[in-house]
Amino acid sequence: MKYAVLCKFELSAASREEAIAELLGLFPVGEKSRGLLAGALDVREKVGATVVYSSIALPHCRSILVDKLTVAVGKSQAGIPWPGEMVNTVILFVSPVKHSAPQEHSSFLGHIAGKIRNSGDRIAAAGNQDELLDLLGFQPEEQGE
Amino acid sequence: MDKQLEKLISLHDLDVMIADLNRKDIRKRETEMGLHAEGALEELKELREAFCKNINRKWRGLYNQLTRHYGNAVVPALMGRCAGCLTRLPTAICSDPDRNLKIHTCPTCGRIIYWAD
Repeated sequence: MKYAVLCKFELSAASREEAIAELLGLFPVGEKSRGLLAGALDVREKVGATVVYSSIALPHCRSILVDKLTVAVGKSQAGIPWPGEMVNTVILFVSPVKHSAPQEHSSFLGHIAGKIRNSGDRIAAAGNQDELLDLLGFQPEEQGE
Repeated sequence: MDKQLEKLISLHDLDVMIADLNRKDIRKRETEMGLHAEGALEELKELREAFCKNINRKWRGLYNQLTRHYGNAVVPALMGRCAGCLTRLPTAICSDPDRNLKIHTCPTCGRIIYWAD
């Protein structure tokens, strides 16, 4: 199974907050919801940075502000200072709050864990968007979907 | 959006994070990925305590009461219905462009309603 994701291959963010805001900018939600999601993700990062592999960060949460699993992937050539280390790949996801969502959230975490375990170095070094998404088992979300 | 409503939505998301990290499967996944789920859980609980102090006592009381009763206190309105109990919400409220500028509750289940922007 390939997950449909939003992607920005050339992030311009120079900080963790900017990277999260830049990727949330891809989400199909309004400004107010985007601000509240940024707050929730920031809380999660403050209680423990989500760097899951050398140079890969995984900011994530569940929220009532989305109605389906929404994933945005970003890559920075310059690197982004994350607490603990620089990262160049950011996989941000927000799961909805509904009965089946905890399992969906858990299985998506499992999916990412497997991909990183098998190809972490290649994901961190991916040279273009297609390669990055393919290594992660993702496909670009269709416009207007 | 009403500031108290924003805080109630954030409190709800915080409670979901805490509930998730209390789940064995999610905690196991996060730990496998090198994230410090146990430490994060304790810090989230402390943050929640502090965050609650910024919420008006009336709304905090209602939130806690609804959470105890239903498991979720804040729900979106979906196609004019409460997403918690599916009751059709009053048209006058749904069509008001300023509907998020005050806190509305579902006339049937009492859950706190917000409209996605």
